[in-house]
Amino acid sequence: MRWHSKAQPGSVVSSFRGDQGLPCVSAAGTMSEQAGDVRPNPSSSKARRCLFGPVDSEQLRRDCDALMAGCIKEARERWNFDFVTETPLEGDFAWERVWGLGLPKICLPKGPLGGGRRPGTSPALLQGTAEEDHVDLSLSCTLMPHSGERPEESPGGPGDSEGRKRRQTSMTDFYHSKRRLIFSKRKP
Amino acid sequence: MELLCCEVDPIRRAVRDRNLLQDDRVLQNLLTIEERYLPQCSYFKCVQKDIQPYMRRMVATWMLEVCEEQKCEEEVFPLAMNYLDRFLAGVPTPKSHLQLLGAVCMFLASKLKETSPLTAEKLCIYTDNSIKPQELLEWELVVLGKLKWNLAAVTPHDFIEHILRKLPQQREKLSLIRKHAQTFIALCATDFKFAMYPPSMIATGSVGAAICGLQQDEEVSSLTCDALTELLAKITNTDVDCLKACQEQIEAVLLNSLQQYRQDQRDGSKSEDELDQASTPTDVRDIDL
Repeated sequence: MRWHSKAQPGSVVSSFRGDQGLPCVSAAGTMSEQAGDVRPNPSSSKARRCLFGPVDSEQLRRDCDALMAGCIKEARERWNFDFVTETPLEGDFAWERVWGLGLPKICLPKGPLGGGRRPGTSPALLQGTAEEDHVDLSLSCTLMPHSGERPEESPGGPGDSEGRKRRQTSMTDFYHSKRRLIFSKRKP
Repeated sequence: MELLCCEVDPIRRAVRDRNLLQDDRVLQNLLTIEERYLPQCSYFKCVQKDIQPYMRRMVATWMLEVCEEQKCEEEVFPLAMNYLDRFLAGVPTPKSHLQLLGAVCMFLASKLKETSPLTAEKLCIYTDNSIKPQELLEWELVVLGKLKWNLAAVTPHDFIEHILRKLPQQREKLSLIRKHAQTFIALCATDFKFAMYPPSMIATGSVGAAICGLQQDEEVSSLTCDALTELLAKITNTDVDCLKACQEQIEAVLLNSLQQYRQDQRDGSKSEDELDQASTPTDVRDIDL
């Protein structure tokens, strides 16, 4: 299922992939060696070393899940949208389902890892998403005009969402007049 | 029959866009937004319990070695360090995760800046397989989330061309100045005391240090170092005294790094392995102060 947010056009966070509550900018790694790779092979490199001793995979897993859960919670509050169950919540943004706005197939999750999904998302975060939903179901959201809070997010480091004076403009900022305001047309 | 052999650089790069580099608005915009991408605090004091400053230096040195060996674009290493610092400024991290984090940051910076980016497998081999590609990809999402997907951070490299084109230097010297300045920028990225400095100041200080260093070899300099600093300060709206201090710090770090390297070279008891772990970027090793 695809949700489209019009409220913050042009920013990095402008389109959400429903299965993770994270933006659609591809994070997929270049996993396979590319043909014609000109970079040296690291196998016998002197830079090949483990710096701080063995890594506890279990602890990595736990910390990763905890941090991801934090990110998803933050995104839920930020966008009043539950990205786990894909449900709009009460808040500044009015979410509306949009039909037939399928993105190019190239944007859909695929790849050698995780059988069509990004790895790294624990199964609990993936529930309620069906593969075929990605093709032509979408949602758009609009900022409710009553909100006094500016929707912009600071691009700084973690935990700095407040107290910043400036923000980067993007080309779509100049399209305010074309925004359509939707008040309470919410669908689950 | 004659054979023609054409060797072409296999890496595709965009040409320098004069419309962007010769427009002051671009420089002004960079100066306006650069501070947004600085780490929010000096995290050794207020966030991290397990990680010590020397560990940052260790991971930074390792990252620089990997970037140099993999012939990454110059911006990749400072950008990766920016991600690392911004993440650490917000998330308490055990030291056992630090190398994984460094690898993730290189992975992201390489994807943002390079036409054919570093692979996850390769980076994992560089950690001596202490992490798995799967873990790297999982943590990639964590880091992206914590950085709020704001990856296009301003780095000192973004300022170099803007600064160089305003200096009264002969064309033939520019490429050497550029190369030295780039090396100083890498050196600054390995040292935490520069982590909170605005990128424009590091860039300006690096160009200043590069020119002053190169002028020492010549009998007649076109500009005294003081006059140069004043000119540079004007270009990036930096305070002259701050800039002087920054340039001196860069020169001190360079000197320190060179002495360390030469000490290691003289010290016959050190193995070659340890020599290569010296934190001196290879390009600086030829510089004479």
